[in-house]
Amino acid sequence: MLENRQLMKRLFPELFARYDVLPVDSYTAQLYDMLAALSPRSGDRPEIAVLTPGVYNSAYFEHSYLAQQMGAYLVEGSDLVVLDDDCVYMKTIEGLTRLDVIYRRVDDDFIDPEVFRADSTLGVSGLMRAWKAGKVGIANAPGSGVADDKVVYAYVPQMIEYYLGEKAILPNVPSYLCMHQEDCDYVLANLDKLVVKPANESGGYGMLIGPKSTAEEQATFARLIRENPRNYMAQPTLSLSTVPTLCDGVIEPRHVDLRPFILQSKDINVTRGGLTRVALRRGSLVVNSSQGGGSKDTWIVQGVI
Amino acid sequence: MLARVAESLYWMARYLERAEDTARLINATTMLLMDMPRGASFGWEDLLKVVGLAEPFHKLYDEASESAVMSFLIQDERNPSSIFACVRHARENTRTFREVLPRESWEWVNELYLYTSTHKSSALDRRKRMEVLTEIIRRRQAVVGLLSGTMSRDEAFQFMRIGRNVERADMTSRVLDVSYAVNLPLRGSQAVLNLNQADLVWMSVLHALSAHQMYRRHVGVHAKGYKVIHYLLNDPQFPRSVRHCLVELQASLAELPGEGAQQPVILLLRELDTVDGRKLAESGLHAFCDRIQAGLAELSVAIAHTYFSAAYSDALTQKQFSLT
Repeated sequence: MLENRQLMKRLFPELFARYDVLPVDSYTAQLYDMLAALSPRSGDRPEIAVLTPGVYNSAYFEHSYLAQQMGAYLVEGSDLVVLDDDCVYMKTIEGLTRLDVIYRRVDDDFIDPEVFRADSTLGVSGLMRAWKAGKVGIANAPGSGVADDKVVYAYVPQMIEYYLGEKAILPNVPSYLCMHQEDCDYVLANLDKLVVKPANESGGYGMLIGPKSTAEEQATFARLIRENPRNYMAQPTLSLSTVPTLCDGVIEPRHVDLRPFILQSKDINVTRGGLTRVALRRGSLVVNSSQGGGSKDTWIVQGVI
Repeated sequence: MLARVAESLYWMARYLERAEDTARLINATTMLLMDMPRGASFGWEDLLKVVGLAEPFHKLYDEASESAVMSFLIQDERNPSSIFACVRHARENTRTFREVLPRESWEWVNELYLYTSTHKSSALDRRKRMEVLTEIIRRRQAVVGLLSGTMSRDEAFQFMRIGRNVERADMTSRVLDVSYAVNLPLRGSQAVLNLNQADLVWMSVLHALSAHQMYRRHVGVHAKGYKVIHYLLNDPQFPRSVRHCLVELQASLAELPGEGAQQPVILLLRELDTVDGRKLAESGLHAFCDRIQAGLAELSVAIAHTYFSAAYSDALTQKQFSLT
């Protein structure tokens, strides 16, 4: 999002003079404030670090960029240690320095070999102990990955009602959960019309796009669903919007979706921009970057002059 | 600052300095060989001795021919001190601490790497060599200039300055020591050399360290042994003299927390105070340079112990450190 905006400013400076495009630069400052609010100690400048799996991770550039923009440390698991006092320390040139907040970009499974996967070298032994004792702030909180479970999505309108006593403003995409017998029967009978998604995959992998699938693929998914119904959900194929996209020198329509950036701690901040992801293959609905999707700068315009 | 990052910064600067120094040394040697009287003993084998790589070279190659030595020093990745290996290491290190450097640094280091990678084999050819190596030096200098003009004199900056000066002092003391030694046979047959050629021996040492121009400007046009020795060891203004490097090191260390690495620098400076160029030119230069090298080795250990050791230990207890 931030890089896209930089590039657009370099390439089309005249557009920014004509439209009142709201800036997105404040994202990193808001991210910093959000992380600082998680600090267990009071003080003006808590020690904040971005925990990365390291240079071989595909998002390493982003981790490094965010640390740079926030003036935070970029640490790997081996740079941290949890001592008997349950505090987390960084190994610095002055010895050990206490760390207050970790923005972690390491998955739950790997975050603490003491509690989760014992063979993990990416995590920090004792991190969960420190978190439990309230000696360190962690964002996102361990366990929040449950929200990535696509089955959870179907319950969002109910959550809104339960916690806020309000009806959802935006309707959900109709979702069929294969763990319910009735839904499951419907999905199996309509595999050629639906998009079937596994509950716990990301990056657009392991999906069946019904209208574009072969009988063979449908048979495979029918078997997978019967074997493990909890792991699958289905939705009608959405007609994602298209935007004009430059493809090999020609402008053609391509499907896009929008990923907003929302930061929540004491306050909630919705960044006035976002990441528009675009499926670069003609007709494709798969926008994920790990499968060759691109991205576009996204503007929220105050008013046209 | 993280101990791991500090160590990477230190080594990144050492690698880049080594790559540039080696490029300068090769350029100077290539030029020098064209001036040497036929039958003079200085050859490619001696260049290997100067950079301290004769032994690893002979494990990989049979004969110290020009093409073999150039390949070994410029592009061979089996030689961790080859220009290409140094640039590649520096680039790999830079990847791991992009957040502490100004944003363009990574791009420029990467461009240095890409240039070196595509042009390294054309540097083997004498006709192209000067051009390619000079471009490598220029691109490395661009990185130095970028950092100098845009980076706060923070801890990250100091660790790079320390790496650069440790490497540079090491190179100067080694070139002085070994060039002098390998030039001895030439000196022995001074009868066949005219005056200019006797100058040439010491001028070659100055050339190897890109010191000839400043020497001429500040000391004189004739390269007298004792003056050259004094200049390269003790000149307070020339950026490659051992003294200048040590003073830079002292200034950087003073900016950092902890005092463990300051004593070795003080000892080295005291050693330099005792230098009598005329005496060393007669005898004892080798032993003296040995002491400097040993002192620099001690300094490296002290730096690692003082600043990088936290990165390697999980058994640290709180009591060992004053916490901030």
